[in-house]
Amino acid sequence: MMFCPLKRWTPASAGALALGLTMLLGLAGCTDDGSQDDILDVAFQSQVSNLDRTFTTKREYIILSQLIDDFLFDVDPETLKYEPLLAKSYEFINDTTLDVTLRDGVKFHDGSTLSVKDVLYTYNFVLDPDNGARANRNVSDWLESVEQIGPMTVRFHLSYPYPLALRDMAVTVPIRKAGSYTVDGELDKSALVTRENGLGPYEVVHFLPGREVMLKRFEDYYDGSPKGKPAIRQIRIHTISDWGSAQAGILAGELDWLYNVPGDIARNLDASGYAKRLVGPSMRIGFLQLDAAGLTGENAPLTDLRVRRAVNHAINRQSIVENLVGAGASLIATSCNPVQFGCETDVQRYPYDPRKARELLTEAGYPDGFPLTLWAYRDPYVAEAMAQDLRDVGIDVSLRYVPLPVLNKARSAGEIPAYFGTWGAGGTADVAATLSVMWNMNTDRNLAQDPLIAKLVASAERTQVKETRRQLYSRALKRIADQAYWAPLYVFPQNYVVNKRLGFPVPSDGLPRLYLTHWRSDGDSTSGDRASGGTVGNKGGN
Amino acid sequence: MSSIDNTLPERQTSAGVEHTESLITLTPRQLLHRRAFSHWGLIIGTLTVIALVLLAVVGPLVLPFDAYAQELAGRLQPPVWAGGDWAHPLGTDHLGRDYLARLLIGARISLTVGFFAATLGCIIGVTLGVCAGYFGGRIDQAVSYLLTCQLALPQILLAMALVFLIGPSIYVVIGVIGVLQWSYFLVVTRSAVMRIRELDYIASAKTIGSSTRSIFWHEVLPNLRSQIIVIFTIEMGVAILSEAALSFLGVGIQSPTPSWGLMISEGRQSMFFNPWLTILPGIALFLLVMGVNLMGDGMRDVLTPEGRH
Amino acid sequence: MLRFAIRRLLLALAVGFTVSLAAFLALQLATDPAQAIAGEDAEPAVVEQIRIEYGLDRPLVTQYVDWIGNVVQGNFGESFYWHQSVADLILQAAPTTLKLATFSILVTILVAIPLGALAAMRPNSWVDRLALSVSVSAQAIPNFWLGLVVIVIFSVHLGWFPVAGDRTLAHFVLPAFVLGMTSVPAVMRLTRAGLLEAFEADYIRTARAKGFRGYPLLKKQALRNAMLPVISVLAVQLGNKLGGAIITEAVFSMRGLGRLAVDSIQGGDIPTVQMLVFVFAMTFVLLTFIADLINAWIDPRLRLR
Repeated sequence: MMFCPLKRWTPASAGALALGLTMLLGLAGCTDDGSQDDILDVAFQSQVSNLDRTFTTKREYIILSQLIDDFLFDVDPETLKYEPLLAKSYEFINDTTLDVTLRDGVKFHDGSTLSVKDVLYTYNFVLDPDNGARANRNVSDWLESVEQIGPMTVRFHLSYPYPLALRDMAVTVPIRKAGSYTVDGELDKSALVTRENGLGPYEVVHFLPGREVMLKRFEDYYDGSPKGKPAIRQIRIHTISDWGSAQAGILAGELDWLYNVPGDIARNLDASGYAKRLVGPSMRIGFLQLDAAGLTGENAPLTDLRVRRAVNHAINRQSIVENLVGAGASLIATSCNPVQFGCETDVQRYPYDPRKARELLTEAGYPDGFPLTLWAYRDPYVAEAMAQDLRDVGIDVSLRYVPLPVLNKARSAGEIPAYFGTWGAGGTADVAATLSVMWNMNTDRNLAQDPLIAKLVASAERTQVKETRRQLYSRALKRIADQAYWAPLYVFPQNYVVNKRLGFPVPSDGLPRLYLTHWRSDGDSTSGDRASGGTVGNKGGN
Repeated sequence: MSSIDNTLPERQTSAGVEHTESLITLTPRQLLHRRAFSHWGLIIGTLTVIALVLLAVVGPLVLPFDAYAQELAGRLQPPVWAGGDWAHPLGTDHLGRDYLARLLIGARISLTVGFFAATLGCIIGVTLGVCAGYFGGRIDQAVSYLLTCQLALPQILLAMALVFLIGPSIYVVIGVIGVLQWSYFLVVTRSAVMRIRELDYIASAKTIGSSTRSIFWHEVLPNLRSQIIVIFTIEMGVAILSEAALSFLGVGIQSPTPSWGLMISEGRQSMFFNPWLTILPGIALFLLVMGVNLMGDGMRDVLTPEGRH
Repeated sequence: MLRFAIRRLLLALAVGFTVSLAAFLALQLATDPAQAIAGEDAEPAVVEQIRIEYGLDRPLVTQYVDWIGNVVQGNFGESFYWHQSVADLILQAAPTTLKLATFSILVTILVAIPLGALAAMRPNSWVDRLALSVSVSAQAIPNFWLGLVVIVIFSVHLGWFPVAGDRTLAHFVLPAFVLGMTSVPAVMRLTRAGLLEAFEADYIRTARAKGFRGYPLLKKQALRNAMLPVISVLAVQLGNKLGGAIITEAVFSMRGLGRLAVDSIQGGDIPTVQMLVFVFAMTFVLLTFIADLINAWIDPRLRLR
């Protein structure tokens, strides 16, 4: 089926040359647009080098894992409630004992049937610290042991009453077939890296690391799964790391689904009429971290509160969000995402005021500014715009845009005076997931090294009393703002660009569930979908 | 056109002496001029380069546009012929900076990097070439090993690693390109020096007790001058393209400094919607490199007619 | 002859190890591989765990010497970024780059040699001038830019070729054209010069004097003699193409060796980068060896060296 979406511009000379080449090589150039052959062509920005979710925390793997794995529980993309998935039912016998009964007749992709043995194997594997499962740190913290107590029932013994047990079981531990990591009698942690035998609604057809993953609908996927039986026959995941090619792919009808799309591009593609832009929420925030502790040098300019405040005043967040980040983004004044529990928003604010910034710099003894290296690893346009804002108040900024590992290396060596950081908090709606990571005294992310904040945050983690936690977090966040340790910027929107004929429910937690996609006949991507959680289809942007 | 002049070697000019007195008295310099001014490639190339240099040097001083002023609300404005206005004749880029001003500053960057990278390459290549050619033996072998390593190492990979390590700046870019682009200088110098070494006058200089250093400076280098000038020009064109490629890949010149390669890479994001962002710096790059190359080819024809092919 | 070949092989190995050492050191100093494995939101404890797990906490000398030892035994190591053996990674990516390099050399040959030959047959004619213009232009066009322009025209506006990737042969048409054009100037000029020189040679003059003119003459005598140096230059150009593929693969989102190298550098994946640099260097040296062999065949005096 040849369907060429773009045939409007035909300069004769160039045309003749290309036509000659085409005929010479006997090639047909044009490809169809996905809905024709029932393949959903998806592009990720970073490579998929590994199919096994157990050993990684990267976003792409989690999206992929949603397709090829099933967990005991699932997060409902609309309500964000935890519901049983492979579990038929569950019961808390007491605070620290959880019984989970499995569904009958659930099949692995290789045709074998799920049993209690597999669940025990999976959890014991994760609990064993020698195996280095990424989930291990979390799970072994609250889970003591698992045992079989009935033909289809497993008992979980918790170390202490842990409120997020179901979440961890729904997000971090995909169920593996017993013996998955044993190859020829020996432990092989990379046994599932390129060949997966999962339980999810899609199975792997082939996997070319860093290049392409081809999935097909798992026809024996169990009835009654809350995930539902998938509609689309095949999903092909490409790695296309630059937005130029990704856009071209959409325009030429080769790609059907992009996510994390920069606002600009999403807007352009939407306006072109070839695809549709959908905007949803995300947990990720952006911020500037400033070396308040003098890690880069005892008397580094940013150790001066007035200089940090000047930086806060100098950045025109409003303009950046409006013009560069686009629809779906919201400004923040606090160093957390306002939807998180404990995220105090009533803090010291620093409105855009370049004159004030200059005054503060002069007061601090830098009337002619000072040289500053600003590091960044993503969203280069935003980083450039901020750098220029800072230059405009006299700070001589040079921007170092590097891959993440380079930035992290420099940060751990104490060489970074300021950087444009972002944090997704693992999608967790609780400031604990942000503050404990950023403000403990041992992490090199903590450029402020403020013992008071570290203490407040640590005590908040040792109580279950919500109100106490809220107050402790509030004090910490107010101090962060007063001291201008960070320049909080905005909450990232989650932009999707999808084929106009594709139905895709926008998730409320920013984690796309591709098994819910389907082809539509009416050309509207969102209406009537099962879960259409977030803000949807802010067409045209600003 | 490149083969027009090579049938006119220097010594033969006295052949047709009879008719005009003036021909006999043509000095080598006058002869050079005559060859130069009848070489169209050289003329076009030189004029292009001079024009671009003038634009680069004078343009930003005269024109009322700022290459660095950011105006996010006025970003991605089209050039005048596509509906823009004269406030920004060539439109604005993704941060609302004036594109004409950025193109002009970009010319300075290209010329600067091209010139200094070629200079660095020249110094390294000629030094190694002279050493290898003059001393021969072990030193020659060592230099040729170095050359093989340099040629075998993919330039972009090394540049990436170095830029991540040191941090990007125009000096690093010049350094990386210069350090990786001396093979041509080396090869030509080495063989020329080997040839010269065998000539009588060096031998005689040696016998009358000149120091090695003075032989280098007074006998060897002057003989290489024309060839080096030609290679320098050609390598400058190559260096300009290398800078653009590195900047395009994000490991060359960094924002906010405008480099044509970087501008192409920035424009790429909206290439389908704002094509001028990609097309204009590409054309500028093409003109400059073509000018430099024509100049180089022309100078080779004029300066070293015997050394072509 | 055999000694010559063995010496070249040893040279290739030495060069390979030297340049991979350079790559190893530069990357060790610049990035933190453990962090690259762990990802954007990783906690420090996880990163530390990875560092120990992959042996990244050992001294640099130990790491490099171990690597050489393994390579000599034919074990190219495990990529910690891709969780695969480096040999597999390279074998998976190599076909794309090899295809790209081969097709682009074909483009070079198809464009440069006929053009150079036509130019040489009629020096200073309009064909000659056209050939010269093509060569001057091809030399001055930034090839990444040419890549973008052809994508806009042929893939998006005309929809004749796929936009990005390397799945089918059609994906290779535009990249091969773009990469092939970079070698056209050198090869065309060499062809033209070689043929011009050959025409001046005695035996051709004789043939011409005998009334042996035009195309048959060109084909039978001159072309063969002029082509040998061209072939040796093509061998070197093929080596350059493997390196030049880095940019072309980036422009067309192809996942060959160039892309693998760039991704691995960005991801701080030292084992892969080291091995790739090693392979690139070896390939380059071996291709120059082939070029030298051809030259030696043309000019027996060179064999003595």
